[in-house]
Amino acid sequence: MSNFKRASMAGAGPKSTSSSAMMAGGGHSKNGSILNALRATTMIDTKPVLPAEILVTILDYLPVSDLLRFARTSRRMREMVYDDTRWVARLRSMGVWDEAEARRRFEEVMKRRREAAERAERERLAAAAAATGTTGGSMPIGRGQPFPGQSLELFPGLQQQYPTPPPVITTTLFDAGEEELRRKRIAEEQKKREEAIQAAAQRRAMEEMEGLQDGFETMKVGGGQGGLLPTAPQKDPFSDPEALLNVIKNARSIRGHARQEYGKIYGALAPFYFDLAKAKSHTDPVVFRVFRDPERQAQMLANLRTFAKSDWAAGWRQREEKLATMAGIFESAVLHEFETGYEFWDVDGRMHKYAHVLDLLNGGTAAVELFIHKHPIFTDKEVLANPMDCVNQALADDVTLEPSRRFFEVLTAKVNEQADIIQRVFPKPAEVFWLLMGKIRDDILTDYVTPLFDETHERSLAAYVKAVSGLFEQTLQFFRTVNAPKNEKNAKEQEELAKEYALKVFEQHLDLYLADELDYFTQQAEAEVGEWEKKLSEQDATAESFYMGSFTNRQADKKDFLTSFKKVVMMPVSALPSLPLGSPFASKPATTPTTATTAAANGGELQAPENPEQSHPVSPSLAAPVTVDRTGSPLPDKAPTDELAAKAALMTSRLEGIKSLFSIEIALSLVHMAKSSLGRAAVFIQLGGQAGGEAREQCEAIFVALLRILGSRHIKPGFDKAVAHLSQYNPREVSHHDKGGVAPLVTFIELVNVGDLISQMIDVFYEQQLTTPKIADRNDFLDPAGLAKKKFEQMLDESVAAGLNKGIDVLMDEVEYVCATTQQPTDYNPAMTTDPFNDAASISGMSVTTEGTTSTTTNSSNNNNRKSRYKSGTPSIWSLPSLPGTPPTPGGSSGTTTNSLGPQDIGPTATALRIRDLVASHTSMLTGSTDKSMLDVFNGEVGLRLFTAVCKHLKRQRISTEGAIKLIADVNLYYEYIRTLKNQDLLAYFKALRELSQIYLIDAKHHAKEMATIIADNERFSGVFRAEEVYEYAERRADWYNVRKEVERAMYGLECLVM
Amino acid sequence: MAENDERALQKVSLQSNDGQIITVDRVVAERSLLIKNLIEDLGDEAVMNEAIPLPNVNEPVLRKVVEWCEHHRKDPPQTTEDENDSRKKSTEIDEWDQKFMQVDQEMLFEIILAANYMDIKPLLDVGCKTVANMIKGKSPEEIRKTFNITNDFTPEEEEQIRRENEWAEDR
Repeated sequence: MSNFKRASMAGAGPKSTSSSAMMAGGGHSKNGSILNALRATTMIDTKPVLPAEILVTILDYLPVSDLLRFARTSRRMREMVYDDTRWVARLRSMGVWDEAEARRRFEEVMKRRREAAERAERERLAAAAAATGTTGGSMPIGRGQPFPGQSLELFPGLQQQYPTPPPVITTTLFDAGEEELRRKRIAEEQKKREEAIQAAAQRRAMEEMEGLQDGFETMKVGGGQGGLLPTAPQKDPFSDPEALLNVIKNARSIRGHARQEYGKIYGALAPFYFDLAKAKSHTDPVVFRVFRDPERQAQMLANLRTFAKSDWAAGWRQREEKLATMAGIFESAVLHEFETGYEFWDVDGRMHKYAHVLDLLNGGTAAVELFIHKHPIFTDKEVLANPMDCVNQALADDVTLEPSRRFFEVLTAKVNEQADIIQRVFPKPAEVFWLLMGKIRDDILTDYVTPLFDETHERSLAAYVKAVSGLFEQTLQFFRTVNAPKNEKNAKEQEELAKEYALKVFEQHLDLYLADELDYFTQQAEAEVGEWEKKLSEQDATAESFYMGSFTNRQADKKDFLTSFKKVVMMPVSALPSLPLGSPFASKPATTPTTATTAAANGGELQAPENPEQSHPVSPSLAAPVTVDRTGSPLPDKAPTDELAAKAALMTSRLEGIKSLFSIEIALSLVHMAKSSLGRAAVFIQLGGQAGGEAREQCEAIFVALLRILGSRHIKPGFDKAVAHLSQYNPREVSHHDKGGVAPLVTFIELVNVGDLISQMIDVFYEQQLTTPKIADRNDFLDPAGLAKKKFEQMLDESVAAGLNKGIDVLMDEVEYVCATTQQPTDYNPAMTTDPFNDAASISGMSVTTEGTTSTTTNSSNNNNRKSRYKSGTPSIWSLPSLPGTPPTPGGSSGTTTNSLGPQDIGPTATALRIRDLVASHTSMLTGSTDKSMLDVFNGEVGLRLFTAVCKHLKRQRISTEGAIKLIADVNLYYEYIRTLKNQDLLAYFKALRELSQIYLIDAKHHAKEMATIIADNERFSGVFRAEEVYEYAERRADWYNVRKEVERAMYGLECLVM
Repeated sequence: MAENDERALQKVSLQSNDGQIITVDRVVAERSLLIKNLIEDLGDEAVMNEAIPLPNVNEPVLRKVVEWCEHHRKDPPQTTEDENDSRKKSTEIDEWDQKFMQVDQEMLFEIILAANYMDIKPLLDVGCKTVANMIKGKSPEEIRKTFNITNDFTPEEEEQIRRENEWAEDR
């Protein structure tokens, strides 16, 4: 209280100086002097006159009547008492003062007054103009009238403010009027100044009382009601009881008028209030005699209760207690009436009436409590169902939610009935209704739910999680759909309330449930994988041999399977990018027709797991993972056509081959389990708040667990095993190489495909189950689900990369093995076996010299060669010679597989074809199944290694001019194949190789010089082969020893030339 | 705690404006916020060694005030931020205080002034309430007499105020 610190006028000086000195000083050396200084000050005025500040405090303790008597002692005291803040405080304590309203009113008054002043000014000017002729005697009075409130009170104050009043010039009537106007203007100016300091002024009212006195006075009278107000409450309350009832409600907030407003209320209520305070028994108080009907009595009592809040004079406590006692007696009487009405179920009569009376009195909580407490619904046999039905009517270790659904149905009907009654009885039905719901929740729902949960928890985890989730859904539904009475703000609240109430019921179970849900899933999933592993290890001994055997024996099947498999895999990517792979988790209408057809295609096996999925939104817990039909493959569901569906079904049976590694079925059923767990837990997310957050986290945890089990428990070991198989592969130990596939590599690539399928499945699952319902945020890089997914994908990629690395080695081993075992020496050197042809070759070689003439005789089967050669754009000396070389080739085919090609065929050798097929089939298997960049790297590596292998192979061969045709055909074959890989760097190697292969075609005897040029021509091989290397290859010519001399000579000669 | 015990044993000397020195326990003296703040600002030694002068308070009043403080030494320390309405309504004067305030009017005013000066709010409140009780039921003329107020109203004016506030008169 700053007031007190400022203290008495005499004391204020020394104290303030001393305290400021204290602030400045602080050091001990000065302290003495401060005390000395204090000691030195002497008191001048010791007369005990209480300063204004203290008087104000004293006034606060005075009862209203004494307060106003005190106002009559002197002007100063009157101002103190009349001070508006004092009365505003009292109005505020009753809760009827509205600051905003007061401000608005104040501003309006100011505006009106300004306008009036302006108008007056204009009139004065006009009057002044007309003054000369007219009397204008009545004018001043007329002007004065718009301001009837500008009563005498104003003027004394003004004169105080302006000790020398504006000069009064004459005493004529006219001048007197003008004088009055001038004064008004002065008052106006004064007002404007005050307006600026209004807020501050009110706070400092007491200090500046003298200065502001006029302002407050003016305002008060400015309202124009100064004289009227006091008389209003003088009306006999006994004659106008209606006005009394609403006196508090009608109170206005007007600055400067708080006293009058309070006066109205006081005048109306104080007689009853003090009378009641003095009353001896409940029959005494006037209030009960003036008002006969209970509504008004209640209203009056409520008014008095409010009024009592503004009474803070001594003894208020006893008065308030008395009032409370009286109200209590009254309340219990009314409550009794209400109860009687309740017993007779007199809804629209007594219940309605007395509920409203009680509401008027004190909000009617007593009636509401009584109503709810004694409500028949809590003893209604129809409602009270046995929760154990849910367990008893179900199979062992399971739970059926049908009884609980019936229970909620009955309850909803009952509650809606009650809602109607509440609406008829209570003035605030919504509040009462939700209170009733609260009691229903605590007494009925909790009692229903808890024993059921306890029971199921004991019986089995599966039933428990199902029961919790299902009942929660039903409960929430119940709270949402009940017909709550609406009040203005309640419309949007029902959702909120429903969540809040549902949470209350399940709060105690939630933590346990969420933990159990995760446990349950993990347990199930582990069991699933574990069982699979166990089965596997039992078969392990036999599986290994069977496995290897089965592959090599069923290559054709494999291939067929792979194509269909890939189609299936590709399908969601190319045709249905946004649609989920595995329709088990898609209840979108788009897939439903497919489901029907595939179900039919699979002999209806799928119907069982499918149905619960479709109905998921209604009863998620019905979609039990145990109902998943493991024998029927769920895969067909994702195929959009019957043909693919059938193939996919076929494929699953053929996946037997990689059964020992990992199973897509396992993956599917894990995903399925995760989905149903998620579905159950996700219903809690809508609760929002902490509980919702926890549920969300748990959902993510389930997803993470899924990935963990699927990834590290299932897929990774599978990959590891496959990679191990790969690294153990030795082509020489395998007897069958006829079908063009490296068994472990094929297996591995299948794995990659399946892995990719699973990965896509997970991705779709993530999108559908976690991102779409906003469980996980895809953009949050710290999100555990997102992280787990990334980790899973990374693991998959790593496994694939590691496997591919091994796979390339294996593939190349196979390539080399094929080269070594199948390439006949006669392939490139047909002359070796049949000399006549050799001669013929040399003859034909001779004929080469006749350039241009034979070019028209191009064999049609040679078109390919020619085209590509033209494309390479080499202006060649051998492009033409090569053509006549074609006729002799047929001879070279004797005894080799080439034979079958027929005499006219100069196509690639069987070895080249096999190698091409081998490599191409393996690389193409991977297409679309793994990361594109990884695939590029893989292809690049394969191509490069193929190049090396071919080069190495070439160096082992001996090639005649005739054989060169074959070689060129082979190299072209590789080249064409490499071209499909769309890898420019790689293509350069094979281009160079193609150029190289043509050196064997040159008839060295006659063209040694040209050959030397080519060998030395680095440009031609675009840097892939150096001259020495080309020379090395040239050495592989069958006739090398014959032509060597000439070529070397040409080379060295050329070199000399260059030098 | 040790410090608190030590404080409890400390003595403070207060000097009234007529030179009398009254020695009281420190806790008693610190019922006055003025003295409490002074001690805090100046430090213990300065105050322990010298009497604190109270130039606004004479000896009899100071003794009275100290008496009150002694009696109320165990009261909870006054809170500075207690401005709400409940403060006003909170208390009736207790019996001891009523007796304590049974002094002549001059003394009563002096005590109030001293309490105000020394910033002892509970004492000030008690004083104000006592004065309020004195006013209760008195006529304006009696109030004027009691408080030495000069009537500067004309009879008409006074009558008007009475009429204005008739609503408040007890019936």
